[in-house]
Amino acid sequence: MDTDFAKRRRRDLIVAFCLAAIAAVVPLFVKDVYVQNIMVLTLMYGALSQSWNILSGYCGQISLGHALYFGLGAYTTTILFTKFGVLPWFGMIGGGAISAVIAMALGYPCFRLRGHYFAIATIVIAEIALLLIQNWEWAGAALGITIPMSGDSWLKFQFARSKLPYFYFALGLVCVAWFVTWWLEDSKWGYWWRAVKDNPDAAESLGVVVFNSKMGAAAVSAFLTAIGGAFYAQFVSYIDPESVMGFQFSLLMALPAVLGGIGTLWGPMLGAVILIPVTELTRSFIGGSGRGVDLIVYGGLIIAISLARPQGLVSLFTPKRKEATR
Amino acid sequence: MTAPLLEARGVWQRFGGLVANSDISISVGRGEIVGLIGPNGAGKSTLFNLIAGVLPPTQGTIWFDGEDVTALPAAERCVRGVARTFQVVKSFETMTVIDNVIVGALVRNTVMRVARRKAHEVLEFCGLAGRANVLASDLVPSEKRRLEVARALATEPKLLLLDECLTGLTPLEAQTGVELVRKVRDTGVTVLMVEHVMEIVMPLVDRAIVLDLGKVLVEGKPKDVVRDPKVITAYLGDRHAVGA
Repeated sequence: MDTDFAKRRRRDLIVAFCLAAIAAVVPLFVKDVYVQNIMVLTLMYGALSQSWNILSGYCGQISLGHALYFGLGAYTTTILFTKFGVLPWFGMIGGGAISAVIAMALGYPCFRLRGHYFAIATIVIAEIALLLIQNWEWAGAALGITIPMSGDSWLKFQFARSKLPYFYFALGLVCVAWFVTWWLEDSKWGYWWRAVKDNPDAAESLGVVVFNSKMGAAAVSAFLTAIGGAFYAQFVSYIDPESVMGFQFSLLMALPAVLGGIGTLWGPMLGAVILIPVTELTRSFIGGSGRGVDLIVYGGLIIAISLARPQGLVSLFTPKRKEATR
Repeated sequence: MTAPLLEARGVWQRFGGLVANSDISISVGRGEIVGLIGPNGAGKSTLFNLIAGVLPPTQGTIWFDGEDVTALPAAERCVRGVARTFQVVKSFETMTVIDNVIVGALVRNTVMRVARRKAHEVLEFCGLAGRANVLASDLVPSEKRRLEVARALATEPKLLLLDECLTGLTPLEAQTGVELVRKVRDTGVTVLMVEHVMEIVMPLVDRAIVLDLGKVLVEGKPKDVVRDPKVITAYLGDRHAVGA
């Protein structure tokens, strides 16, 4: 039994390594910038969704305000760079740390709320933050901030022509987010989180400090999300409140995980690989003329998947455990 | 140490105008199996929750293992050695049976491999080893009850609180349950159980505490308790009181 478990964990790790290796060579053959762009976004949303999944999937605290942490990451790096000349590499870590602290500060009152009420609180808080930034002159207010470009540089993590550096960073971020999840899954925290999600009262009776569990999940989740935000700011080199803190980001982080399989190791990435290209392709090919036809198709697809596979697409790959053991 | 393992001293619990527990003082000695019984609304579940640390008493103190634990939350009491099951089973439904038990085992073991091994041992002990990799939601009710006990035992408690874990089972299942409780006691764990079904509890427990209307009505050996006219009145009403 134990060996089965260890074998499964090792297999996950090997599969992930192979997939990452394959992904790493893809851009050597796919030179089209448009496709490369989609690949970068897919990886980025995969990483973001994986981060979201830690708090909302494993720990069960549905957040619809993760755009806040995404925006915090984007704004922290950008402001640190444009106003203080701090390199984005440090800005990313700083943004992550600030997000983690804010996630815990917000969690302190919010984690007393259960279920839907928590989700509502996250939406409201993210909207408040959006309004605050929109009116904060020093941080560019509604106009936003442009990151000045000064030629390709790894130090400043900006590249005018090639998408490849962004691609490899995004790939690295996905790998980190996946690995953190993999590692946490078989740790005390991972078990505590799932227990909290399934039944907080029972968890408490078994020595799980429910409140601290949620705080831990929120901090890890916010940290990784903010790194994604910082990356996005560098990638587009211009940010404004709507484009990094809008509600749609909260949804785009949640959707891949929900469609792929919420609270699973592979769900978020699988969801992102399907969802993000579909988003982009429908927008490009039928978005312009039809006034929202792309969104109808997109919405229809989401409904179809969630009706057919309410447990997420990842369940297509898991062996039927029930019959096997009964 | 001769001090009792668990002691409630002058415990009151009021919910608004309702007095669920009034001035209850009970004690449970080490290695005992004690039954907490009484008709519906007697305050058994309230007292049980006060001991488990779900809520603090309005007044009075709870002592465990020589320490005042009144102010400690449930998770802290679990660390001290109090484990419980729930009357309405609260399995972690999306997790496998073994994972359910690992959550409990993690209280004493921080190394995952050790916690996993411990969880397997407990499942073996509780007769659930064959179901280790099944989802908790796929268990039948009697297995879910057993899982509750397994999860609690994995925390390596000194005191096991069982909340009606034998109620609603078939006679055969209940009998297996009784044997499990005896086996648990034989490993040195003290058991306090709330039960409804007198004929199952009475042969099992060393001592019975009868609650009625939020107060301790009678306390003593099971065979004396069942004959006590006060108990019969409480359960069946005045007309059935014998020799009163």
